[in-house]
Amino acid sequence: MRETRGSNAVAPDRENGSRRRRVLATLFGLEIKLLLRDKRTIFIAVLLPLAIYPAFILIMRAVSRVGQERLGAASYEFAITGSEVELARSLVHEALALSAAEDDSAEAPANFIEQVVDAPDSLLRAGELQLVVEGMSREGYREERERETEGDTAVVRRLEELADVPVIRLRFRNNSELSVTAAQRMSERLRRLRVRRRDRLLRESGFPLDSEELGKLELNNVAPAEKEAGALLGLFLTPLLVLLVLTGGSVVAADAISGEKERGTIETLLTTAARRGEVVAAKQLAIIAVGMAITLINVANLLVYVVLGVFELPERFAVSVEPAALVVVLLLFLPLAAVVSAALLALSGYAKTYREYQIYFFPALLLFMFPAAAAVLPGIELRSAIVLAPVANVSVAVKEVLVGEFDWLFLGLTFAVTTAAAIYTSRLTARALSVERLITAAEIDEAEFVGGPALFPKRVLRWFGLLWVTLFVSSLWFGGELGVRAQVVLNVVGIFFGGSLLIMWRYRLDPREALSLRPVKFPVWIAVLIGAPSAYVVGVGVAQLADLILPVPERMLESFGEYLLAPDLALWQIILFFAVLPGVFEEIAFRGVLLHGLRVRLRPVALCLVTGAIFGFFHIDLFRILPTAFLGVVMGAVVLISGSIFPAMLWHTLHR
Amino acid sequence: MTEATVTVRGLAKTFYDEARGEVKAVDGIDFDCRPGEIFGLLGANGAGKTTTLRMLATILRPTAGVARLMGRDVVEEPAAVRRTLGFYSATTALYPRLTARETLEFFARVNLYPEDQVDGRVDFLVDRFGIGEYVGARVEKLSTGMKQKVSIARTVAHDPPILIFDEPTVGLDVINALEMARVIREIRDEGKTIIFSTHIMSEAEKLCDRIAIIHNGRILASDTLEGMRGATGRHYLEDIFVHYVGGVEEMPGFIRESGSSPK
Repeated sequence: MRETRGSNAVAPDRENGSRRRRVLATLFGLEIKLLLRDKRTIFIAVLLPLAIYPAFILIMRAVSRVGQERLGAASYEFAITGSEVELARSLVHEALALSAAEDDSAEAPANFIEQVVDAPDSLLRAGELQLVVEGMSREGYREERERETEGDTAVVRRLEELADVPVIRLRFRNNSELSVTAAQRMSERLRRLRVRRRDRLLRESGFPLDSEELGKLELNNVAPAEKEAGALLGLFLTPLLVLLVLTGGSVVAADAISGEKERGTIETLLTTAARRGEVVAAKQLAIIAVGMAITLINVANLLVYVVLGVFELPERFAVSVEPAALVVVLLLFLPLAAVVSAALLALSGYAKTYREYQIYFFPALLLFMFPAAAAVLPGIELRSAIVLAPVANVSVAVKEVLVGEFDWLFLGLTFAVTTAAAIYTSRLTARALSVERLITAAEIDEAEFVGGPALFPKRVLRWFGLLWVTLFVSSLWFGGELGVRAQVVLNVVGIFFGGSLLIMWRYRLDPREALSLRPVKFPVWIAVLIGAPSAYVVGVGVAQLADLILPVPERMLESFGEYLLAPDLALWQIILFFAVLPGVFEEIAFRGVLLHGLRVRLRPVALCLVTGAIFGFFHIDLFRILPTAFLGVVMGAVVLISGSIFPAMLWHTLHR
Repeated sequence: MTEATVTVRGLAKTFYDEARGEVKAVDGIDFDCRPGEIFGLLGANGAGKTTTLRMLATILRPTAGVARLMGRDVVEEPAAVRRTLGFYSATTALYPRLTARETLEFFARVNLYPEDQVDGRVDFLVDRFGIGEYVGARVEKLSTGMKQKVSIARTVAHDPPILIFDEPTVGLDVINALEMARVIREIRDEGKTIIFSTHIMSEAEKLCDRIAIIHNGRILASDTLEGMRGATGRHYLEDIFVHYVGGVEEMPGFIRESGSSPK
């Protein structure tokens, strides 16, 4: 009997394994079949990425060819007219001969053709000619100008000062590009002739140099052309890929769950023998397959057009990328595609309908596009932080690889972090499908998913994780661009206070409870006034201790000093922006909402330490974590002992 | 009497509703179903029929109680339970981009019908439900009646012993509704266990072998039509229904729980 049971316990398991594989294969087959039958998917996921490089290259080539043509083959027809035709003609031809003899290659030689015609001005207006050169004597010019300006005294006075030289007037049409360039190039040549003549005169009167030889300026670009192009390519490659995966994956993801919910097929699917994990896994695999296909197409494009140089690229885009670098880029892009796909599927899982999904999609697009463009940021100082941020780290890593820099530690961490993010996001999606209200279109929710105050302690850390990410992204994105004041207001009021309000609204928290808004007795205020300065002294001690472990670079202190003593702020502004606002709103977020959320789970001492540590981590700067964490612990204790948030606000403000 | 294939004991489901607080959609029900029998759940909208059937189909997880299908527990072995089950409701749609044949093949395979017999099974279903003419057409191109046939065929694609029809006639015209009833009877006669829910008295009267009257999440009576007639002394199901339901108006329908904030 025991034996039978033993062997039975193994056999069904083994059989089960192959069954489960069969179910998964069937589901995956379904997903792929549905996917391939959707024209939109094919277009966005395959044709678009396939076409984007050739299209880009074709456009670049067309643009540069048009430019070349305009420079080279253009010929300008002109006529000479006026009272001093012969003088003008000799000047013009001398100027044209001059530039033909010593062309400085910046401009391709232009073809000026003189036409002898009767009515040049009407032909110019008709577009038959591009330019009319009018030669005039000084007298003729003066009379004409006086007539035109009706004897304006200022003009007349200037005309009086005019030396007795011939006047050349170029007439062109501003509405024809050809005519404009003709006039520009002709005047350029005539000016050069004038310089020539002046130099000759100077030399004849004994000046030893040409005027141009008085000094020489040369611009010299030392970056090799292909590195420059690699940097350029590195900048746009990741955002391009993320955009393609997002758009391509999005069509599939939207269809995969929210589309199925809307059509009602999800219920059919969930009543089959397939497990939810398998349903999610199949969809996940399908979307990842699309993401991978897009990635592979992209890298193959890169290989064909850039590495192998099948087509000649415009000079600015000619990159020399080693095949090894391409393999690294591919390795970095695979988990990236997986993260993006998984995130899309998670969104699709959370959305009840197609339309709801579309509402979520745009913020998701921004969420991914910002970090994907991280390579644009100049901040090398941020590198250690960026390696921990999925997507952004890939962006930076790819750019570095394309310019030939291989920092293997950075690359390895980037790969690991992004892969971990992909796995985590996938698990989120699987959970989304087991949340009942999300799969059945029922209007009623199950108690545990509604999220009253009881749910808040379970979610509080996730919310603060989200706030941290928001803070991080906003500081990456706006860092430096906004003024110091705007930055403080955005972080403290927008993110901390706004986030706190959002959380309280979402979980229907009672503000008095959540924020410990209670009156305190008078002696407490006295205690705060005494306590704050002495704790500050200890805080400085902690900072110095931290300095021993992790020395703060000089440069950083300087920049911090600049930051504090920033641009001519009045004292009241410094107090408002650096003391009062952070004092009040950071307390609301950390010693209010966060402390309240963790209270149920932790004993007082642990509670202070944990809230303090989290507070520290919010000061993204590595060197400020310890001191601020210390402040956070003290503030937490103040709130717990006094039972109210107000003393902590005052304390924090004083500390600042 | 044959052994029960479906046993339900003390099954309950509590939802949370913004306006009403906690709602006991199903409040501890018991019943058994047997092969070759159509068991009807008769109740008004919101009585708890769909919630009950969804728990049996493992789409929803019971808050309390036990339900077993072919001896397997819905909570402990949900995937195995679903394998023994065909679930049909007005909201279980088909994939528009699959053809009728692909649909049947997919549902047979995903429910683990023996791989070497899938083709034969599909041919049989195509023949039996008369969908041969359009078996190669995509589902999105089919008429409502055609879709209905394909949909029933996919429900029984893996030849499950138990079938659940949750208000299958909602939204159907008379002809299609009659056709549905005919097919359900046919399947019953093959010895399957059928659970059928409806709010239409005449439908239950004509189709069901045994009827359970469900109201506010509780089963008020469960018997054959004849048995109910005997117990209530009324002839028409409508009157019997009102007799049971009307008699419990004073009973607290569901227990409200306010002030759910933890202290």
